[in-house]
Amino acid sequence: MATTTASFSLSSSDILSNAISLSSTSTLYNHNTTATGLTQVKSGRVDVYVTGSSFDLIPALASEEASAANSYVYIANKNTDVANYVNISIYNEVIGRLYAGDWMFIPWEQNDPDSDNSSKNDIEIEALVGGPQSVEWIMFTESTATILDASGD
Amino acid sequence: MATTIATITLSSADIMDNSISISNTATLTDAGNDTGVTKTTGLSRVTTSATSNVVLLDSAATGGLEAQSTMTSGKVFIQNLNARGDGSKYVTVLLQAVVIGRLYGGDWMFFPWQGGAGNDVEITPSSTTDTTLEYVAFY
Repeated sequence: MATTTASFSLSSSDILSNAISLSSTSTLYNHNTTATGLTQVKSGRVDVYVTGSSFDLIPALASEEASAANSYVYIANKNTDVANYVNISIYNEVIGRLYAGDWMFIPWEQNDPDSDNSSKNDIEIEALVGGPQSVEWIMFTESTATILDASGD
Repeated sequence: MATTIATITLSSADIMDNSISISNTATLTDAGNDTGVTKTTGLSRVTTSATSNVVLLDSAATGGLEAQSTMTSGKVFIQNLNARGDGSKYVTVLLQAVVIGRLYGGDWMFFPWQGGAGNDVEITPSSTTDTTLEYVAFY
């Protein structure tokens, strides 16, 4: 096992009449365990071009369709032009826009909602505005199968 | 405008041969500019024993947050305040009917939220054990 921690803090002194300060730290564990840390990780950096199409940033694994495997995903838009953003989607449902400089961290359930091996829970990305946008991502996962696409040749 | 800053640090000394340490800071801004977000739901806390869907954030144009502002650059933070226990209990977080993932006791998530019709943020607890969550949206 490994020990991977995710720490969050958020602060604002002026969005309300009193300051907000939030913080939280979690350790990334396997499902159904008290303290067994996730042991597999994939990551990447890609330039996403405006093409009118979305792309699979992190494909759901067919092996995880019926599993209870646990995953966490971090995605960051490394662009600097504040007008630029990418849409992040799951199962064709837009979660939201990651503008330049934004990041997100979510738990991710790879289970295919229709259980038909069509990988509908892929995490997808589409650049909507601006030039190619550099996006960094990392996925921590628990799996009992090889977390790679099967080779076709 | 206001200045609201969110920071993440991901670290592991042993998931790979070399350690991982990722840090990032984002200033929450309105869509397409560098003006800080000015609206928030404020921090909310809910305890539920329901095992059916519970709406945390209603994005509807009538009666929901979308009635106050078009939600093109929203951000949401949710944390499960329960203890991890045996690791079998969690809440499933959904955008309406689409599952995002599971928040186990002690877990948190932070994500952009487009809002709009059909994009309520919902949870489904995995058991009838009381689950306590805190959550906040900025937009």
